[in-house]
Amino acid sequence: MKHRQFSWIAIVSTLVLLAGPSRAAAPPGSGPSPREIRTHVLANGMKILVWPDHDIPNVAVYDWFHVGSRNERPGITGLSHFFEHMMFNGSEHYPPGSFDRLMEQNGGSTNAFTSEDVTCYQDWFPKSILELVFRLEADRICCLSFDPKKVESERQVVYSERRTSVDNDNESLLDEQVQAAAYVGHPYHNPVIGWPGDIERWTIDDLRAYFKVHYAPNNATMIVVGDVTPEEVFRLAEQYFGPIPAVPQPTDRVTQEPPQVGERRVSIRKFGQTPLLEMAFHTGAAGDKDAEARDLLVDILGSGESSRLYRRLVDQDRLAIGVSAYVNPEGFDPGLIKLAVTVAPDKTLAASEAALLDELSKLAATGPTEQELRKAKNGALAGYWRGLKTINAKAEVLGTYEVIEGDYRKLFTAPERYERVTRAEIQALARRTFDEKNRTVGTLVPEKEQAAR
Amino acid sequence: MIRSLRLAAAVPALLLLLGSPRAASGFDLPRTREVRLPNGALVILAEKHDIPMIAFRAILRCGGLADAPGKEGEAAITVGLLRKGAGKRTAQEIAALVDGLGADLDTGAGLEHSYIAGEFMSRDQGVMLDLLADLLRRPAFPQEEFEKLKSQTIDGIKADKDDPRNVIGEYGYAFLYGDHPYGRPVDGDEATNRGLTRDDVLRYYRENYGGDRLILSVVGDFSAPTMETRIRAKFSDWAKAPGPAPQAPPVTRGAGHRVLLVDKPDATQTYFWLATIGVARSDPDRVALDIANTAYGGRYTSILNTALRIEGGLTYGAAIRGPRYTQAGPLAVISYTKTETTGKAVDLALETLESVRRAGIDSTALVATKTFMVGQFPPRLETEDQIAGSLADLAFYGLEKEELEHYTDRVLATRPEEVKRVLERVYPPSEDITYVFVGKAAAIRSVVRKYGPVTEVPITDPMLSRLEPAAKR
Repeated sequence: MKHRQFSWIAIVSTLVLLAGPSRAAAPPGSGPSPREIRTHVLANGMKILVWPDHDIPNVAVYDWFHVGSRNERPGITGLSHFFEHMMFNGSEHYPPGSFDRLMEQNGGSTNAFTSEDVTCYQDWFPKSILELVFRLEADRICCLSFDPKKVESERQVVYSERRTSVDNDNESLLDEQVQAAAYVGHPYHNPVIGWPGDIERWTIDDLRAYFKVHYAPNNATMIVVGDVTPEEVFRLAEQYFGPIPAVPQPTDRVTQEPPQVGERRVSIRKFGQTPLLEMAFHTGAAGDKDAEARDLLVDILGSGESSRLYRRLVDQDRLAIGVSAYVNPEGFDPGLIKLAVTVAPDKTLAASEAALLDELSKLAATGPTEQELRKAKNGALAGYWRGLKTINAKAEVLGTYEVIEGDYRKLFTAPERYERVTRAEIQALARRTFDEKNRTVGTLVPEKEQAAR
Repeated sequence: MIRSLRLAAAVPALLLLLGSPRAASGFDLPRTREVRLPNGALVILAEKHDIPMIAFRAILRCGGLADAPGKEGEAAITVGLLRKGAGKRTAQEIAALVDGLGADLDTGAGLEHSYIAGEFMSRDQGVMLDLLADLLRRPAFPQEEFEKLKSQTIDGIKADKDDPRNVIGEYGYAFLYGDHPYGRPVDGDEATNRGLTRDDVLRYYRENYGGDRLILSVVGDFSAPTMETRIRAKFSDWAKAPGPAPQAPPVTRGAGHRVLLVDKPDATQTYFWLATIGVARSDPDRVALDIANTAYGGRYTSILNTALRIEGGLTYGAAIRGPRYTQAGPLAVISYTKTETTGKAVDLALETLESVRRAGIDSTALVATKTFMVGQFPPRLETEDQIAGSLADLAFYGLEKEELEHYTDRVLATRPEEVKRVLERVYPPSEDITYVFVGKAAAIRSVVRKYGPVTEVPITDPMLSRLEPAAKR
């Protein structure tokens, strides 16, 4: 995902977070229930979910649109994310800059993120400005406008974002190459932030076309969590979003990825000190029949110092400084299980690759132990509770289930689903997935000197 | 795929660890129960029952300050080794236990403290408290685990250097503070870590770990009387450390400007850190400075971010950060821009700094800033771990809980002239700024020269702790 605003804090545990929302398991005793959530659909098709939570006098609004880099075509890659930035840059009623200024001067803050599958606009604010938030959110859906000067300056901002989060960050640079190699037809091939050449060439007309099609109320799902009543939220939604007309949505015709029939390899050579290895295997879409087994499989491989990959590569063989395992993309279409290794500078990529493959085949051959399965299920249970700690987390987890997986109630039934997963299911999934023909391998080979360009 | 862990815009980065926490009108912290054990340990308990989880933070007064000279990294490797064998458990058994319960366990060292933080389901409180007591009181420091962690630390420092965001602050502290202990890298550098032995760790532990150094806060779904009984049983007889906790001497704010240029030849953009010595945690003007920092560079529509990003299109983001410690911490403008616009972005940052220092912040912006700070305050103290961290932090700096409870009242009561005064006192005139750049030296060497005498080091240099200023003033 690409966020509109930067943070210097975050660099460390990014991969851990990715595993976040979809992890859930049985709450013991009386947990939250779907009865706490109220839904309402406007006549124009916009859906609103409200989860009252009066712990703090604040509100989180997450407004999700069903559009992401998955909906782009060659030539306009990165446009969904660029559009996300432009949503803060003025409408017919509010000049550029006033959205953030009004929000912040009234005690609110904003951000947004774009992934392969969705774009989500986030507002965090004291409950006293609920109406202002609805007015501003509806205004930019009804009446966004594009100032040519802002288009140019925001283009530079996004390019800076790309330089920071991809070009000057070796892990992301390698991941971009691996994902591009793993998908040859499906638009998951393209990075969410866009290829540099496209960043330089998006036009104001591209933005206008995107706005017309994708930013319709019937393409949105709004999640409201916090110190509110469903009645006031629905009233404001009717008042502000109700008058915006629906727009017929184009048929969702995304190129399907053809089956992979042999290993693919990519390699990057550049200045650096630390070799990197990443492996990606095609897997299913978010919320498919293997979803819970997949989460547990990934957890057993890469979560914590007791995980198989940490124990083997970091602890026993001392080949690597860090390992991670995660699912990404995790959206409407089949995604990837990714395994990333930060190799110790004086060790070889080949040794890490061999050890990683050895661990994958072991898991495929004999499956996880009963103890490992229990551990992963407990991790899922704790993850479930962590997802309910804050109004932000609740808005994110509820939105993820509703928008990506199609039903927010899955949050509350996840308990039994995780608990039901068996060792045999995880083993079968590992065997199907960790096949040489299904594998893309990327390496970053550090060089001592930067080659002249 | 990058996913930023983004606090709302106003929060200085280091607040996560030890920072100025904030509280809100119309919103109460859970009631706390404070217990002083006979050995001097301070225990703070707060019940919070909305989800069945418990968070804790154990802080020990020591940190990098207690590292022997030339042995930077001792505090960090010592606290990191606690989980690598303690009580009857090996490193692998501890990992299996923690992961098996779905718990989080984090250890680390700061300038003045070392810490263990954790979060677990309330049903596991017995076993997790036993583990915490083992980690703090009965670490084994196995030789093999020491060797592993040492080489991982050295390799990790190298790996961090492949992304300038990870390391620019380290260079900044070292260059800004020079011989003052705050200039010593808490994680050490490649060279100092190479020199560490297990005996160094044993010495560090023996001299710095003990009941009198401990602050333990626990927040969440438990019964406070029961928790108190458990903690008393585990920690009351922990002996005191042999000597007093180390103290950092006051920091004197030097005059003059100088430049550190860290050469990363593949960089396509320049990362910069423009700093001065800021204020201590107990500074009487701390709330006024929070307001000034938020208005200048602590939110999306801040003066700095407006100039560099919103209007300038020069960067994805720009902010000011002012972490505070027992003594004065740095106050740093941080941002990055493509190599070609290095001079332009830095000049613009300097211009905004100078203008806000001279002219202050206008009254409309001041009101807006205060409203923003008050509105964004409650989510900072929403969770068990946030509250546990904040309570421990307050106790560490000898501040009262009312610091949090009346924070927003103080923000609202701060007068414009107080903000103006603190800006004049703390924000640096442009001739007194310390500059750190990480970027492609061949392209920016001549640009950064105009900001002061330049010290240049390659990013591959294994030494960090003894950066020589380019010129004595």
